[in-house]
Amino acid sequence: MASAGSLSNGALAVPRPSETSQPRLACGCRWGTQGEQQVILFPEGMIRVQDTGRRILELCDGHRTVRKIVATLSERYNKADPAIVREDVSSFLEALQRKRIVDY
Amino acid sequence: MIPNPLALIAEVTHRCPLHCVYCSNPRQLVAAKAELATAEWVRVFQEASHLGVLHLHLTGGEPAARVDLQDLIAAGHRTGLYTNLITSGAGLSDARLAALVEAGLDHIQLSFQDSREGPARWIAGAKAHTYKAVLARKIRQFPIAFTVNLVVHRQNLDHIEEMIEFIEQLQPERVEIAHAQYYGWALINRDALLPTPQQLQKCMRAVEASQQRLAGKVRIDCVVPDYYARYPKACMGGWGRHLMLIDPCGQALPCHAAGVIPGMRFANVREHPLEWIWRESPVFQRFRGEHWMPEPCKSCERRTEDLGGCRCQAFLIAGDASVTDPVCSLSPDHHLIEIARSAAQSEAAPVSLSYRTSMG
Repeated sequence: MASAGSLSNGALAVPRPSETSQPRLACGCRWGTQGEQQVILFPEGMIRVQDTGRRILELCDGHRTVRKIVATLSERYNKADPAIVREDVSSFLEALQRKRIVDY
Repeated sequence: MIPNPLALIAEVTHRCPLHCVYCSNPRQLVAAKAELATAEWVRVFQEASHLGVLHLHLTGGEPAARVDLQDLIAAGHRTGLYTNLITSGAGLSDARLAALVEAGLDHIQLSFQDSREGPARWIAGAKAHTYKAVLARKIRQFPIAFTVNLVVHRQNLDHIEEMIEFIEQLQPERVEIAHAQYYGWALINRDALLPTPQQLQKCMRAVEASQQRLAGKVRIDCVVPDYYARYPKACMGGWGRHLMLIDPCGQALPCHAAGVIPGMRFANVREHPLEWIWRESPVFQRFRGEHWMPEPCKSCERRTEDLGGCRCQAFLIAGDASVTDPVCSLSPDHHLIEIARSAAQSEAAPVSLSYRTSMG
């Protein structure tokens, strides 16, 4: 997962998203563009999101549950193993929650 | 190839009802009548957006001292910029705050001087603390990002835990614990503000504990202050590298303090396009990259990381803007930092502070 890999994993432990968590972009964090590139803008800067990272965040509308997001992505990626997708989604969202870019 | 700037700091006014003893404004303040007009700022924001800027930081002085603040935010928002208001809160009524959010404000950064009313008033030279605490609760009711900025120094670091707890109950997503930086007004007051090594250690422990405790809820940032760091920081990410600052009368600077460096002739947005200023004006090229570096920077493997540190600090401490930042332990002028640190440790006479003077 290219985008998730570019986020540093600090030592700070945050709770994992649960199956029923409904992740969304945190207050004051939003989509923007830099040239042709989609980015997430937040107070201290921006992150470029591409590929899987972008697909995950596009599903984080504050309504869809993590269960639903994982199911949708597994389906989209040729029936990828949901356990692996769940792991990827969780660690990506945790890293962004730690940075206060998403809430779940 | 010069990369595009990512952020524009718009110092829209130097007017401010506070007189903070560590204000980052230059000691020569710009008078109200010399400030850029609304339409001039709007054009600057459009040019910045075309140049690739993503973030607009509206600061001052107190930006709310401008009656057109709402129009400035709306203009930034219209051009697609992420708009950030850096404020003391003075002049932000409920109705005005709502109007700023409506205009497209993405983020508000509210400064605090202390957790206690008395010391806050002493440092700010004005009564603002209680109002700020009330305002913080109102800000939290809007769907915008909220950061609390707390400036720390020798006079308040002894109760750092209490200050963090005070901020926590204001429910920001972010806290910036900023050690006073010794330029302008803070430099005059350095002997009263520079922390002791014991205070610094205690501060870092308290920050780490609160980062663990609040992980995922509040992001807390705090970096080791320059005077206690082994190596300098790439000031503003490097001269003319990521951001530019426009002062109230339209001069374009690479950072807040660059006005102190002798011989700098800053181009003005009233006379030149922003793109020319960024790419071609002599000031922005003067210390960009590595061409200007002296030893020990020139052959140092850290040079691409810290870019020689801060030019303003080099001038203010060593008297020459083109030498290695004296903060660096490898600098031939580093003893000047050590002298300042030992002054902070000697319990001197009663503390006397010089306040930022008010605007004429």
